[in-house]
Amino acid sequence: MTLLIGALTLGAILALLALGVYISFRIFAIADITVDGSLTFGAAVTGILLVKYGVNPLLATGAGFVAGMLAGTVSGILQTRFRINPLLAGILVMTALYSVNLHVMGRSNIPFLGAVTLSSYCERIGHHLFGAAAIDLAGWEVSATDLTVLLLMGLLVGLTALALWAFFRTDLGTAMRASGDNPQMVEALGGNVQRYRVFGLALSNGLVGLAGSLWAQYQNFADAQMGIGMVVWGLASVIIGEALTAAPSIGYAIAGAIIGSVLFRQLVAIALSFGLNPNDLKLVTAAFVFVALVLPDFLAKYGARANRRPA
Amino acid sequence: MNATLQPMVRISGACKTFHAGTINEVRPMRGIDLEIAEGSFVIVLGGNGSGKSTLLNAIAGSFLLDAGRIELDGRDVTAWPEYRRASLIGRVFQNPFSGTAPTMTIAENFSLAAKRGLMRGLGWAPSRRLRDELRERVFELKMGLEDRMDTAIGSLSGGQRQALTLLMATWLRPRLLLLDEHTAALDPKSADQVIALTDRIVTRERLTTLMVTHSMQQAVNLGDRIVMMHKGQVLHDFSATQKRRLRVDDLLACFEDIRRRELLDESAAEMLQGQYV
Repeated sequence: MTLLIGALTLGAILALLALGVYISFRIFAIADITVDGSLTFGAAVTGILLVKYGVNPLLATGAGFVAGMLAGTVSGILQTRFRINPLLAGILVMTALYSVNLHVMGRSNIPFLGAVTLSSYCERIGHHLFGAAAIDLAGWEVSATDLTVLLLMGLLVGLTALALWAFFRTDLGTAMRASGDNPQMVEALGGNVQRYRVFGLALSNGLVGLAGSLWAQYQNFADAQMGIGMVVWGLASVIIGEALTAAPSIGYAIAGAIIGSVLFRQLVAIALSFGLNPNDLKLVTAAFVFVALVLPDFLAKYGARANRRPA
Repeated sequence: MNATLQPMVRISGACKTFHAGTINEVRPMRGIDLEIAEGSFVIVLGGNGSGKSTLLNAIAGSFLLDAGRIELDGRDVTAWPEYRRASLIGRVFQNPFSGTAPTMTIAENFSLAAKRGLMRGLGWAPSRRLRDELRERVFELKMGLEDRMDTAIGSLSGGQRQALTLLMATWLRPRLLLLDEHTAALDPKSADQVIALTDRIVTRERLTTLMVTHSMQQAVNLGDRIVMMHKGQVLHDFSATQKRRLRVDDLLACFEDIRRRELLDESAAEMLQGQYV
């Protein structure tokens, strides 16, 4: 049960990452590798504020979001002002952020032991909410803190999703979506496509930075390596979500990204408990995304051939 | 007619060279001067590579001029980026895929058009008021689309999309409407429908319009002035009175004339080459 709650919580936290990747990958059709750097950047900024300066955890978490936005803005400006290929722009910012993160943290890993984090908030809230350190949930003993963390993360993800859904249905949000779909048309209708793209990448990486910040507080440390391969993780979540919802509407897509993230984390937890070597995790994730990207075309081709055979 | 009235469009000495200094160098604008009075409907004719589409793109701001000046409605827009000029200009492209966002619904596409050149904020898109108005005006198209407001626009036919794009371009009254061979990619029946719609909207709203076409028939039937382009320059300019007497044959003769001159150029060049090389 503890394992399940842990996997659900991490799935919820990484759903913010999935939402960020959804914005860059599906709305703007960019494979934005900045994510690998901005996740760590969010974690690093939050971490140093908590550990070294004892800043209020809510503020420190907000700072993680802003840090991510900053990284996304730089990527966006490289792509628009300087006309650098989006993939390369992402690689540049990600690489640069690696050094920046080491400078921010002062070393490659900072433990949050003793610092007041959102987790310690949750401990207090959990005690108030359930009146005990552990409670009985359908026969399993569950830590009140763990449950509170999960509930609050679920709430946060739900609110974020709702805000995104509403935003992408406003005049500004609709124009941003259209600028990924048909930039020429948006320009002809007076939309500044370049500005939309910068803002979209900022928003995307802001969510990723927030995910990094929450993840670090959940696991109680920030690490310079924690962002590696996370863009692929986000892609996997988005793709699973699309397979499940299969609807082009923005509401379904957002819900899909969240469900995809939670489900993917469950799958990973199950695979690990069945003895998957953690070292193979990134390889398996990459292979999964590869198959998911190639499968539809392959099925279409194979299906067409199978249909032709009887004729 | 009215000399004191300033023209809606004033282009002077417009030049543009693409891929300058390479083997692909093209010069689609070689000093174009053109004035268009408010409310006039100008047809632009010309062969392939004559620079007629480039002229429209230059006005719309798809690129900036190398030399020359463009004024719209009394404002010097020469240095304005495309999205800024959109506050004055409505556009329909040749490719039906260019004017609409395919994965978005009809209503969403119009919510973008309803904010052309305006600040886009956090108002709901499309608003309820827009939806009601949209339903009414799409009904006027008689294409049966009024009940498909939430259909992705990409699933519609080219003719339907061009009709909707035209409606979008004129949703907020533009100071200038640019039509770039907007029926060239359509089947004859859809093309006729879109042309009829164009005529109706332009006449009713008295829009200043610049329309590029390949079709002599359209050129003769529509508009009140014909500008004929060749090699990046304005070759003929038929006023309303001249145009009224003009027939398709006259235009074809004009083109034949251009072709003969072209051939003459080529044979002259060959002759020179034969003599001196």
